[in-house]
Parts: sequence; C-alpha cells; structure tokens
Amino acid sequence: MKAVKVNFRINDEPVALEVKPYETLLETLRERLDLIGGKEACGLGSCGACTVIVDGIPLRSCLVLTPEVDGASITTIEGLARNGRLHPLQESFMEKGAVQCGFCTSGMILTAKALLDRNPRPARKEVVKTISSNICRCTGYKKIVDAVLDASLKNKAYHINN
Amino acid sequence: MILPKFNYKKAEDIAAAIALYEKAKGRARYLAGGTDLIPRVKLRLSTPGTIIDLKGIEQLHTISRQRGSLIIGANVTLFELKNHDVVKNHFPALYESLDATSCETLQMRGTIGGNILQNTRCLLYNKSLEWRTARGFCYKMGGESCNVVPGASECFSNYCSDNALSLLSLSASVNLAGPGGERKIKLEKLFSGNGRDPFTMRPGEILTEIRVPVKASSGAYEKLRVRNAIDYPLLGVAVSIRNGSGRVCVGGIGPAPRVYPLKDLSKTSLKEVAQHARQEAKPVSNAALSPGYRKKMVQTLTQRAVKRALKEEK
Repeated sequence: MKAVKVNFRINDEPVALEVKPYETLLETLRERLDLIGGKEACGLGSCGACTVIVDGIPLRSCLVLTPEVDGASITTIEGLARNGRLHPLQESFMEKGAVQCGFCTSGMILTAKALLDRNPRPARKEVVKTISSNICRCTGYKKIVDAVLDASLKNKAYHINN
Repeated sequence: MILPKFNYKKAEDIAAAIALYEKAKGRARYLAGGTDLIPRVKLRLSTPGTIIDLKGIEQLHTISRQRGSLIIGANVTLFELKNHDVVKNHFPALYESLDATSCETLQMRGTIGGNILQNTRCLLYNKSLEWRTARGFCYKMGGESCNVVPGASECFSNYCSDNALSLLSLSASVNLAGPGGERKIKLEKLFSGNGRDPFTMRPGEILTEIRVPVKASSGAYEKLRVRNAIDYPLLGVAVSIRNGSGRVCVGGIGPAPRVYPLKDLSKTSLKEVAQHARQEAKPVSNAALSPGYRKKMVQTLTQRAVKRALKEEK
C-alpha cells in the first residue's frame, strides 16, 4: 500500500507527514504526534471520545482517514490553552466539577467549543442537544451542561479570541 | 479498532471516480462522510482494496433550484441541508428527519447521499469478525441461513435511514452516474427489497443528486428510538401532505421502506392506512426493542405523524 503525503495544521502548527492510506486521524494524532487528548473508546463513531475540531467542525477522528484531512486546520484539546491560560470551557469544567473519570472530557469540551463558536449564548436546551452527541458513561451530564452554560457567560471578548 | 489495508484515492470529478472504480476491478468503495462505511470496514463487513474519496468533487456539494425542483448534491451534509431555507420552509418532514438523524456531530459529517445509501443493519450482523465467525455466517455475510429467524429463506436486516423515508414521502427522485452512463430513477426504485443487497444500483454507480419537487407541504417525522441521540431508528414514519393528499412512508423494519398513498384526509382512510401499515410490517428480533412492540408502534406512530402533519396545515 502506497504511503500518502499529507500537510495540515494542528493547533496552529504546520505538520507534514507520510501516512498509511488506512490510518485514522486518531491514530495519527496519538501515535505519531503524541497528542493523546483524544481517546479511543468505541472506535465506531458512537461515543465521541475522539472528537477533534477540523476546519471549525467537530469530527469523530476515529472515523476520519488521515489522508482525508489533507490541507485542513485541526484543533485538539492540547491547543485550547492560550499563553498559559486555559480556555474558559476548561476552567468552567473544573469549577463546576464536570469531570468524573475524564475519558469523555476532551471530546465534550471540543464539541462544546464548536457550539459556542457558532452560537456564543446557547439556551440550555441547545447545549443538551449538542452534548448528546457525546457519551459520558459516568453519566454526569448535568454538570457538563452547567459548565458549558457557565463558560458561555464568561467574558465575551476573551471568548471570541479563543 | 484497526482498519484493514486498502489504498486511498481522491477523485476530482465524477468521471475520474468512475475510472478509479473500474481500475480497481470492482474491489473499490466510494467514500463520502464515512460514518457508515468506516465502521463497516473496521468490522470487516466490507473489505475494499481501494477507497475512493468523493469529497473533492465540487459538483456533488451544491444545492440549487431548477424547474420547480430542489436539487441536492449527494455530498451535502445533513447539517447543511437541515439549515437550508427551502427545507425549513417547505419540507417539514425532511427537516424533522434530518434533525432526528443520529446527533449533531455526525450530522455535520454524514452526507445525504451516504445516509440514503447506508447498508441495512441487524443486531447479529453489525458485529466484529470474531463474533460473527463464532456464530456462523448469515445470508448477509454470504452464509446460508439467517441467525435471527432459524429456517428463514430471506434476510430481515433493517434499513435505518431516517431521511430516505421523508424524501420518499416528498416523491423525491435520484440521479445515478456509473460506467454505463447516467440514469434518473424514482427513489422507490433504489430499493431491491433484498436484505443481502438492499439497493438496485449497478456496480460502480454513484448517487449524484436528489431531486425534490418544491411545493409547500405539511408533514411530520416520527422516530422510535431508545436514547434520543446517536441511535438508529427502530421504526420511522414520515408523512408529507400536499393539496389534500399525501404519502406515508414506514421504515426501520425490513430491508426496504414501504410507501402508502393517503388519498384523502378523512378519519376512516387515515385509520385504514395506519392499520394496513401495521399489518404489512414484519419486524423480527434483530433490533433493541421487541418485534411485537415495534409492530404495534407502526400504527401508533403513523397516526401520530398524520395528526401532527394535519395540525400544521390548518
């Protein structure tokens, strides 16, 4: 199988790689680039633990072949903090205790970030709908929804810059 | 889960994609969003030698209006389609089915073409290779029996697209392009009714666009599911009504959706259609809820969907 050359940006840094044609983005992130924030849980696109943001859209990286994202701009959980300061969503998740075992957390935060980027002040109903894309097997959804709403109320200017 | 080995090719246009398919001598699969195909490949339900990515084909990614029809490119994502003005204003059944499909994240990745062409599902089929080998291969895996209904002569796998049902209720048609040229067929004709090979598409054909007549309709989509997000329909009912008559479409049970005309909107004919749909539905225990319950719910959800559709019309 012929290796495929890909170029993309991850967390604002350009990356050039030669990958297997049957390699998923999740494998590339975890095994080649040491970005282990995205987790493999179901591996079949049901759970959302592997979510990363590709060109502004949250994607399940276990369902995406790395050659497919050639030229894209990717954000992982490792790229959310700016200048040593956490993203408001990350702060809210800590303040509201929205983390139990932590396995779903990076996917939850990135799914929520994509929501807040297109809709800075979502209603509770909208947050619930978006967050239902991801599964938390500790079933701590209430605090996660609280944390997303809390983050949406934080300083707007800071929010837009992130 | 590790993918088996295959080659990856990206097509620039439809002709190039078909040429790549022919070069792969039939051992190729077209890839759009991948939310159905990649899990199937991971489970070894599909083992292509080459995957041909269609996402680079600009032509498949447009929505336009032409001669009274909305022409939807097959690569338009479910989320984009859901937020399109015509869908929101004219096709309530389609809007509701798009909204009910899986979850927001997968709607942003999954395409309308891929959603229609998703393969049929069964509790005893969508499993890992080890599981299936231990159990013994069924009709759909190329074996010689059904694992759900012992002694059955056909495959009972369920067709689980939400949006094909609402598109059927809106009398949609589809365009196919393949090595033998282009053809346009009614959406109903896409389904073979055979669970082993649920579509009538010829080898190498690509679904290029979906055409829906633009006429204001009232409608509704009802979906039986257990989680309210991410899950497939255990039963789906779409209803669209235009000018006093309509179409009811029932899916999620068996390998092809069934369409019932709604000639008039009187109470007796509504009840007749709902009862008829229930009688024709033949669920077996290959989904998360019991067949008896799913059968009963065919009538309930049909009546519920029609009632909701009619309320909007007033």
